[in-house]
Amino acid sequence: MTLEMRNIYKSFGANDVLKDISFSLKGGEICALLGENGAGKSTLMNILGGVLPADSGSILLDGQEVQFPTPAKSLDAGIAFIHQELNLVNDLAIYENMFIGRELKKKSGLLDAAAMMARCREVFAHMDIDLDPAAMVRDLDASYKQIVEIARALLMNASVIIMDEPTTSLTDPEIDRVFDMMRTLQAKGVAIVFISHKLKEVLAVCTRYTVLRDGAMVAQGPVEGVTVDELATHMVGHQVRTESLRQERALGKEVLRAEGLGQENRFHDVSFSLRAGEVLGFTGLLGDGRSELFQAIFGSGGKYRGQLYLEGQPVRVHSTRQALELGIGYVPRDRKENGIIKDMDILENGSIVTWPKNTRLGVLDWAKVREGFSRQVEGLKIKMDSEKDPIGSLSGGNQQKVVLAKWLNAGPKVLIFDNPTQGVDVGAKEDIYDTVLALANQGVAVVVLSSEAQEIIRLCDRALVLYHGRVQGELSGEDMTDQEIMRLATGGETRGRV
Amino acid sequence: MDHTENKKAPGVLSRLGRAWRTNPLFSTGIALIVMVIVQTVALTMNSSSASFGDWFQNWLLNWVSLLRNNSAIGIIALGMTFVIISGGIDLSVGSVYVAVGAFTMMLLDTGPNGWLGSLGLGGAPAILIALVLALLFGGLLGEGNGLLISYGRMPPFIATLGAMQILRSVTQYCMKLQSPTLPEGYKDIARLGIGGQQLMPIFYWAILAAAMYFISKKTPFGRYVFAIGSNERTTRLSGVDVRKVKRRVYALTGLLVAVAAVIQTSRIGSMDYASAGSGFEMDAIAAVIVGGTSMSGGRGSIVGTVFGTLIVAVMNNLLNLIGVDPYLSAAFKGAIIIGAVLLQRKDKA
Repeated sequence: MTLEMRNIYKSFGANDVLKDISFSLKGGEICALLGENGAGKSTLMNILGGVLPADSGSILLDGQEVQFPTPAKSLDAGIAFIHQELNLVNDLAIYENMFIGRELKKKSGLLDAAAMMARCREVFAHMDIDLDPAAMVRDLDASYKQIVEIARALLMNASVIIMDEPTTSLTDPEIDRVFDMMRTLQAKGVAIVFISHKLKEVLAVCTRYTVLRDGAMVAQGPVEGVTVDELATHMVGHQVRTESLRQERALGKEVLRAEGLGQENRFHDVSFSLRAGEVLGFTGLLGDGRSELFQAIFGSGGKYRGQLYLEGQPVRVHSTRQALELGIGYVPRDRKENGIIKDMDILENGSIVTWPKNTRLGVLDWAKVREGFSRQVEGLKIKMDSEKDPIGSLSGGNQQKVVLAKWLNAGPKVLIFDNPTQGVDVGAKEDIYDTVLALANQGVAVVVLSSEAQEIIRLCDRALVLYHGRVQGELSGEDMTDQEIMRLATGGETRGRV
Repeated sequence: MDHTENKKAPGVLSRLGRAWRTNPLFSTGIALIVMVIVQTVALTMNSSSASFGDWFQNWLLNWVSLLRNNSAIGIIALGMTFVIISGGIDLSVGSVYVAVGAFTMMLLDTGPNGWLGSLGLGGAPAILIALVLALLFGGLLGEGNGLLISYGRMPPFIATLGAMQILRSVTQYCMKLQSPTLPEGYKDIARLGIGGQQLMPIFYWAILAAAMYFISKKTPFGRYVFAIGSNERTTRLSGVDVRKVKRRVYALTGLLVAVAAVIQTSRIGSMDYASAGSGFEMDAIAAVIVGGTSMSGGRGSIVGTVFGTLIVAVMNNLLNLIGVDPYLSAAFKGAIIIGAVLLQRKDKA
């Protein structure tokens, strides 16, 4: 099987999104499609998947020119697109999800569950995985959901599978599982397009890479022999830092102290202390309880046991409003659900936290609100046309910066960043890191929650690793390594210090 | 890259087309203008006016009565707009309306059972006290809904459906042996004439619409209402006391319903506790929807709701003018609702 896209052009209005892109793929290849947000990766794949029409250019399958006016046509030709937001119905069984819309029926017109389950088992056997087709999708972890999507693609005889950032919500062991699956399929002659921001993953699993920048193809080749630095440089067009950003800083007084915090089965007996100007990391695998812990501290996670001290005073935070008044800020994970308000404009999204402060006689002083926000736009290098545009018009990285901006404006004493660079491109990521460090330099106590070990290592002075809601160990300085974090995160004991 | 060629000033037509597609107020406004033109034509054909003066007077009188007759729904729809933008619904407005009406009439009853009268209060002070208590009562009933929804974590549909049943039934029970009569002074609230015409209800509606417009655009509370309707989680995580905002939205609606109840009781002088206000919830929701507010919350406007109220009102007036069978008027209202929402459907971005 060979697939070729030739001289693809696409523009939205005056905006040229794809300029003369040619892309090819053979069975048994895993090709990484790389690029910053807005580089045109999704547009290119949407053209291949029949979601968007190209302005010009052609698609050839085994040398035959094909047209994909609809996603169904593309799927019929054997091209399956697995979107970042999985397309599974949680309340249905695996086999029902796999056959949704094309159920097998008996002669009587009733559903033939036995036949559907048998077909599922065949596909699972082909993929070398052991799954019960009758299990509910709800009960699967994120990696198995991804695998069910892949299985569905195979069920429809897909010979090309496009995976759009499949690993963003997965933990490391789950990622390994998905990668094993991809390699199995590769061995069986399936071609895979792997869209990702995580370059280490690309090196681990892909055979080839293609880099897009500003709608143009800037580099491609075999993965063998390239380094993360080289790929990152292609993506952003200039040298990217990967070195540690840790720096000596004078730490101030203790700002936040937790003693024996616990909540049901989410986290247990967590104690830590955080000083002004310090960057403290929390990491672990999925289910480690770090988000729940800090949501509780921020007053949005319900009741908790234990005692919290803010600047030496015992406090109990009941609501986010109270947290805001106390000077605790929280930049949430999952931007779409928790970070942005899609019906509001950029300015409103970037300032909602500061509204109570910027009123006169109960009326919003928009001039003051705008002034505060403009300062952050500059500091964070937010790229936008007008602050009156809807938030959705920005790229993921810029949206995340707007979410940051609203909290920076509030001038918190403690700022908690929960997965601050999720779904953010390389350039924006560095801007966000710079902002975090600048805050610490100004004496803000910073907490960074992240599942990316590299993020913790590069950014934090100190890190606590959680395992099933308990602090498994603390690392700092040279001890913070990928291996050490992974060992603690998977339940290993702290090594005796030398 | 050179895009100067594309940057030519867009033509009037393409700009209008853009406004039509992106601004829901634009299409609603055009629909309203078209209806008003048709209505004016119908009115002209209907009356055999001798002179322009006669015609104009006819036209004006028609409008005054149209606006006055719709002021109560218009005011209730203002509150409903906030409720729907916040992602909720309030089915209890008709019952709050009748409860506040009955409460006010009992306060002011000139007979032996009048509450304020039996305390020895009368005249202007009694009316003033009754007014304040009536508004408070309406706000309180709304607050009850708000508490159930925010602190009781009840779906708004269910909480207000319950309140709707309870309030009307209890009002009817309490009033079954009462037949209050209102003092003349109270009736001035609505009847105070200007040039022989009762313009006060229209005036109250206009003032409240302006106030609600201001609140929706310029106060943190107003903007929080939009934010909550669009994404409640994000709003809470931005340090907003979401429950308090929701409580206030329903309390504000209760207050506005109370204003409508006071205006109507003072205008009509009596109330039928079994039927007064019934269907108000649907009329108010219809006005809000026709005005372009999204049922799923987060998007909408007070101006749209005023347009929506007027579109439904003008259409009823028009049907009346051209002599359509009254049995069919609800069908036309239904068609307007469906048509308006079809028009406002935007291309998915």
